[in-house]
Formats: sequence, C-alpha cells, structure tokens
Amino acid sequence: MITSVLEELARLNLGERIGMNKIILILAILVLCVTSAMTQLSPTRAQTPVTFTIGWSGSTLDTLNPAAFTDADGGSKLVSTLVYDSLVHVDMNGSVTPDLATSWTYKNPTTIDFNLVHNATWHDGQPFTANDVVFTINLLLTHKEISYLHTFVTTIASVQAPDNYTVELQTSKPDATLHDYRLVNIPIFPQHVWTTVGNYTSFANDNPIGTGPFKFVKWGGPGTYAEYVANDNYFYGRPHIDQLVFQYFTSANAMALALESGQIDYAGPTFPNALVSTLTSQADVQVISRLGPEYYYFDFNGYAQGFGNPALRNKAVRIALSHAIDNQELAQVVWGGFAVPQTTIIPVALGSWVNPNIKQYDFNLTEAAALLDAAGYKLGSDGVRVGPDGTRLVMKMEVPSNYAEEYRAVQEISGWWKQIGVIATAQITDIGTLSQESFNWKFDTYIWVWSSTSGTDPDLFVSVFQSNQAAPAPNPGFSDSGYQNPTYDQLYTQQLQETDPAKRQAIIYQMQDIIHQDAVYYPVYDPYLVQAIRSDRFTGAPPGNLPPAFQGTFHSLVTSIRPIATQTQTSQTTMSTTGTAMSTETVAAIAAVVIAALVVVGVVVTRRKSPKKGQ
Amino acid sequence: MVNLAYFAKKIMGLVFTIFLVLSFNFYLFRILPGNPFTLLFRGAGLSSQAMHDLNVQFGLDKPIWYQYVVYLRNTVVGNLGISYQTRAPVSSLVAFALVNTLILLSVASVISFFVGIFIGIVAAWKRGSKVDVSASATMLVLYSMPTFWLGIILLFAGVIYLHLPVSGMTTILGQTGALPQFIDLLRHMVLPLLTLVLGLTGQYVLVMKSALLDVFTEDYMITARAKGISNRKLLWDHGFRNAILPMMTLVSLNLGISIGGAIQTETIFSWPGMGLLIYRSILARDYPVMQGAFLVVTIAVILANFVTDMLYPLLDPRVNSQ
Repeated sequence: MITSVLEELARLNLGERIGMNKIILILAILVLCVTSAMTQLSPTRAQTPVTFTIGWSGSTLDTLNPAAFTDADGGSKLVSTLVYDSLVHVDMNGSVTPDLATSWTYKNPTTIDFNLVHNATWHDGQPFTANDVVFTINLLLTHKEISYLHTFVTTIASVQAPDNYTVELQTSKPDATLHDYRLVNIPIFPQHVWTTVGNYTSFANDNPIGTGPFKFVKWGGPGTYAEYVANDNYFYGRPHIDQLVFQYFTSANAMALALESGQIDYAGPTFPNALVSTLTSQADVQVISRLGPEYYYFDFNGYAQGFGNPALRNKAVRIALSHAIDNQELAQVVWGGFAVPQTTIIPVALGSWVNPNIKQYDFNLTEAAALLDAAGYKLGSDGVRVGPDGTRLVMKMEVPSNYAEEYRAVQEISGWWKQIGVIATAQITDIGTLSQESFNWKFDTYIWVWSSTSGTDPDLFVSVFQSNQAAPAPNPGFSDSGYQNPTYDQLYTQQLQETDPAKRQAIIYQMQDIIHQDAVYYPVYDPYLVQAIRSDRFTGAPPGNLPPAFQGTFHSLVTSIRPIATQTQTSQTTMSTTGTAMSTETVAAIAAVVIAALVVVGVVVTRRKSPKKGQ
Repeated sequence: MVNLAYFAKKIMGLVFTIFLVLSFNFYLFRILPGNPFTLLFRGAGLSSQAMHDLNVQFGLDKPIWYQYVVYLRNTVVGNLGISYQTRAPVSSLVAFALVNTLILLSVASVISFFVGIFIGIVAAWKRGSKVDVSASATMLVLYSMPTFWLGIILLFAGVIYLHLPVSGMTTILGQTGALPQFIDLLRHMVLPLLTLVLGLTGQYVLVMKSALLDVFTEDYMITARAKGISNRKLLWDHGFRNAILPMMTLVSLNLGISIGGAIQTETIFSWPGMGLLIYRSILARDYPVMQGAFLVVTIAVILANFVTDMLYPLLDPRVNSQ
C-alpha cells in the first residue's frame, strides 16, 4: 500500500504540479507517521484501580439534581443513590435496613425518634448532622415545585433535631408507609451546600455532594456515561471497588456483546428473553434472574362515567371474561417462561404481602360462555353476543407502544374471546395516545403495568382501586378501572395507618380478596428481570428476592460487590484496550488503507485533469 | 452591486422558509396526542396535581397562540428553552448532539462521496464489463440493506474478531493525552463509520454512473472523440466535469438531511448524536428539544441547498445567476 503511493509520487512530474504534489507528500508522510505511532502506542491505564462497569439499557442519567426529578427519571434516581443516602434503605428482600439512621423508636403512633450515625461525613469533608436531615425535609415540605420528592413528605407534619445525632419526626396521621415508601426515597442533602441554591429545580448540581459510598467524578452528558470513585470515608466502610462506571446502551444486543467481550462487568436492568440463551451459554457470565416489584394487568374500563363498552361495568361480564384468559399460557407465549403468572393485584415479588389463598379464575371457555349467557348476553346471529339493552360485546384491546411485546398477549386473548362471541380488536397504541385515552376514559380494555420504583411497600398497588382515584378528566386519579367501593376505601385508609405489620397484612389480604371477587382487573404476570454479571471478575452480589440493580437494592449491590482477586490484572488490560496491541494495529491498518485510498484517488483525479493546460 | 441585491433577496427567502417550517413544526408537535405530562401521568405514575403544576410551570396551560408567540420570540433571541425531561438548556443538548453527529457524518459523507465517484466512474466507463456489473450489483445490495441489520452484523464481527469497542464515543476512564484520545475516538468510529459508508456509497455510485452514461450520449462527446482526444481526457474533461453537477445536488441534499443524524446507526452504537436526541425527545414528547433539534435540521437543509445554489454557477457557467 505504502509502496504504491510512493510509486505514484515518483511518476508525478514534480516540476509542473508543485501544489498538488506538496499536498500528497504531506498526506503520505502523515499516514506513515500515524501508522507508526499507532503501532507503538498501546493505550494503558494504571493497573491497580478496580473498576466495576455497569451497562444499562434502561432509563438513563439525565440530571444530577434530585430536586429536578420527575417520575420518569428512574435512571437518574438509581445512580443518585450512589452519592446520596437516605435515613433507611431496603435490602434484597425488600426489608427496611438502617442507613443514615441506625435505629428508631415510636414515642407514639405519630412521633418517631431516629438515631443517626455519628461518623458520617459529606464528600467535601464537612460532618453530617441531624440539621442536614431537618433542612432536607423542611425544604421538601415547603417547596412544592420539587414535585417528585414532595410526594414523599406529604404525611410528614414537622421535623426537629433535638441534638446533632437525633431527629424527631411527626406525621399527621399514623403512617404505615413511612419507612419503606417515604424515607427510603428521600435523599439527604447537605445543608451547607443547598442553602445557597436559589432555584432548586433548575440547579445543575454538577458536583453533587452526598454522604454516599461513591463520589461523583464526571459524566458525558445525558444518556452517555457516568464515572464515580469510591468514598474512602464512607461511614459503613469503603466499598470494595475503586471506581464505578455507568455506561448507557441503546441496544440490548450491543450490551450483551459488551458483557461477553468484557467491556462491561454487569448488565441491567433486564435483557429481553431472546438474548437470555446466548448469555447463559457463556461460562464466564452469570445470569441473575429475579422478579421485579411490578406486574402486568389486564384492565376493564368499568368507570360508570367513562366511555368504555358499558358491558364492562357489569361484574358478571368481567368474571366471565376472566375465565377466558389463560395467564399461564401467556407467560409461556410472551415471556418464554420468564414471568410468573399472577393471582392477585400484588406482584409476586412482594412476597408475604401476596394473599396465598386467592386462586386465579381458571381458564374455561365453556364456563365463560355460560356465565355470559346467564348475564343476559346471548349470541346474536352474526356470532357476536348482545346484551338485553342492545349492547354488543365488541371492543378494543390495546397495549401501549413501549410494551409492544404484549401485543402477542392481546392477540391470544382476542382469539379466545372470539370463540365465546366477544369481538376485541387487538392493537398497539402509541404511548402518548393511550395515556390520553386513559386520561379521558376513552378506552375499553388494555394491558399495562404497575411498577413500583419507590420500593416494596404494597400501598401503590392497592391505592389504585380507591373511589377517589376514579374521577373524570381533567382531574382523574390513578384509577384506570373506575372501581368504586366504600368498604374497600375504608380498608385502604385503615391499612395506611396500621403500623403493626401483621395486622396490616391481614387488611391487605382482605382487600385483595375483594378486588378478586369483583374481577376489577385480570392480573396477568410478574416478569423476571434478567441481569448478568461477569462472574469470573466480580463476586458478592447479595442473594435475595429482588433484582440487585434496581431502585432500593442497588445500594446493597455496589457496597457488597468485590473483585475476584486473581482476575484483577487481566481485567484491567482487557478493559482498557479491549484487546491487545494487535487490535490497535488492525485499526491503524484500516485507517491507513482509507487514507491511502483517498490519496490514490486524489492523485488519479488530478493527473487526469492536468492536460487541459496544454490543450 | 447588483449581485448584492440578489444575495439579499435570497437570504430573505431563506429566513421566510425557516419561519414557515418552524411554524409548521410547532403546530405538528402540538397535534400529537398526549402532552408530555399526561404521558408521565399514566406512563410513570405522576400525580394529577403534579401534572397540573408542571403544565403551568412550562406554560402548557396557556392558549396555543400565546405559546406560539412566546416560542417565536424566544427562538429569535436564541433561547431554545429547557428540556422537559432533564431541565437542561436545549441549546446545550442540541449543540452536544450536533457535534457528535457531525464528527461521524462528515467523515462518512466525504469517504462515501469519493469512493462513490471513483466506483461510479469505473462502472460507467467500463459499462457492461464484469467490473461494472459486479460493482453495480454490490452497491445496489449494500444500498438496499437495512442499516440496522448491517450495523448489528458489523458490530458482532468487529467486537468479536477485531476487539473494537462496542458502543459510545470514548472509552470511559480512558487514556489521557490528545493523541491516545484521538485514536480512541477513531477506534470507536470505525464500526458506525463503516455502517454509514456502506449504506451511503451506493447512492453516489448509482447517480454518478447514470449521470456519466447520460453525458456519454451527448453530441459533444462524439465530436471530442472525433477530434482525437484521448480516452482519459474525454472522461475527465468532458465527461466527469459535466456529470458532477447532479452529484452536487445529491451531496447537498444528503448533507442537510444527515444532520438529523443516522438514527439507526446511532442507536446500535449508542453514538450520542442528533438522531438519538430526536428519537428520545419524541418518545417523551419533549417539545422544546424536538423544536430545537428540528430547527437545527431545518437550518442545515436550507443552508446546504443555499450553498449549492450559490455554487452551481461556479461549476456550470451556463447557469445565469442573475
């Protein structure tokens, strides 16, 4: 390649075409320089720091300021737990564990005293005290524009710091969700930094100061990567890794490849099941497959003031239709077995909160047809059931575009329903459109997800059936079923204030039973979150029921993970160059080929052009 | 000078076009069902009260004409607003993405332009021969391959056999020093570049070839050959320099449009460019980012066309710019 370039140079008549030749000469020299430089240079990094690289194909880090979070900022929130601590955390089983608060006592049902750690320091060296906690909670109480975080303090009436390491909190009513829903989601801000901030929601927070196990180093902008370094003074002990990197991927295929080739050490939040077999076939990759605190449900628009098919407001019809859905089959067809069928409206991942006595409506088309007959919906001459008031059982069955894999599910379901004379058109609807439809109650049925990114408290999952959550636009609540039952509402308020876990569990069980009897939803399944780790390099991901890299549990993962000592050195060189000097040469070769080709083309073009001077 | 008046008129025309496109975009985005906060409400569990508060905060509760006027006024002074998703200023988001896309796409455009011309010329000159048939067929196949599929194939081959980086623009915690960082960038560019070039070259080859073949049938080509001009002079002086004109139009079209980012390539390789920015902002109904990004794309396309308009008389003296 180089010789051909030099031949061309030799053939050129340097006397006549000085300008062009100079350029070609310079180009050729550049190529030679770069090529030789690249083969000699082998990018290296210091051999000692242990870096844990997490690949992430989910919600990305968009902002470093927790006060600017919205509910869609799951990715930003996840990494903020590296830097910021809360009073309490949850462990891998969803149980509350101490964090900045080492212990707490209830003086009375609405007053709690928290004892704080004594030796915590902020990343800038200032000591952490109870004043920081009081400052943070008061900030959130008084600034409603910090909309997301404000939702976690709505039951807190006041907070004081009797001394430097004690915080006393008063709630407006007894609150069962105080620890595992509210406190666990409130990051504690340093008072000495945040008092000088003017506008909390537009504050960039480029250098976030927290008490957490990792210090922020830098990021590449929204959706690229973020670098963290271990906090040597972390009050529960320095993490076992030196550096932590978050790298965002927009393609799950690319992420799987990165894990396989060693460019990342951990991958989350979940892999599509198509990729799982490739992952499990690799010896140095360990797949960690656990249920997430979420579930897919089939919703009937039963709102009396809504615009869905009126037959869906009839409990008998809903029960009949529930007999015409087989969620075990769906778990196989849609998720390849990577989902657990639900029996009730609490996700299986929430363990003991799930009422074990509830059995899902069994799949029985004959019974479904009989129940519809009994409800007065007889088969018409065209094969479609018609009710006594003339309502035909014709409706839409939608899935939001961001859960497009559920389209398979609605296709199956509409197939089953067709056999009993109910026509449901399955379709994928754009998420914005479906949100709007749901907002305005203009839909019939859909499959959607309830997911808790704020912890493992069951409150979210039972709150959506309250009567006050079913309201017309423009102020609907969270209900998308339109269910209205005063008994259920009373039980809801009761469980919210029941601080005795056993008693609360009994109430939650009863509520699940009511929902099941009224067939408000058909709960479908709880999918596994399939994460993966390079088990030849790192170990220590804690066991438990919940996925390690998830809201709440992530903190446990990053403080427990440690390198497998013998692999440290090789892992460093692999990651720094993703290959050996050989690869740099290959790239150099490719670059040289391209540049040389350009040079040759350029030379050929100019040679052809020049004769016009003579003519 | 008379030229100046013509120039000024042209610029006015540009500004008016940009204004029209912006207005149309503004309207178009607003007729998408679901504003960003209903999306958050149902899609991510934002409370209805918070949703209303956010609506007010971002001025979405004002009448549409008011929002429009505010938008125009802000755009003129260069204030592109802040993103609903990240609260970051749109101008910095777009600038960051634009630079990344330009790095990738300008190199890809240049390479595919030259390679495309070269192959196109060879194919036209040797029309009918094995060289032509194989080149044209290969180019057609590459041009019609879905970018996404091509990208994934290259990704697998590149990562497994050549140990190239899987994604992004730089190796995180990477090297210090300008030259190692530059090489690192090159290594990250190889695969997306290859994907883009393989896709883009096809068009240039086909257009170059057909333009040249058209020119070959002209009378002056026969005259020139009769005069005894050598093959090479014929090809370059008479053929190529006339056939290059439609190519320039193609180049300017592509340059303008490609500012919008090669979305598929950027997705596979997680290249943080304009395509990815636009895609994510559409998903989240992030109006300010969408508007900012489309403003940039609009200006790019219009500018590219304008530059071609001005260049054309230089390339082809027959075009009278008056």
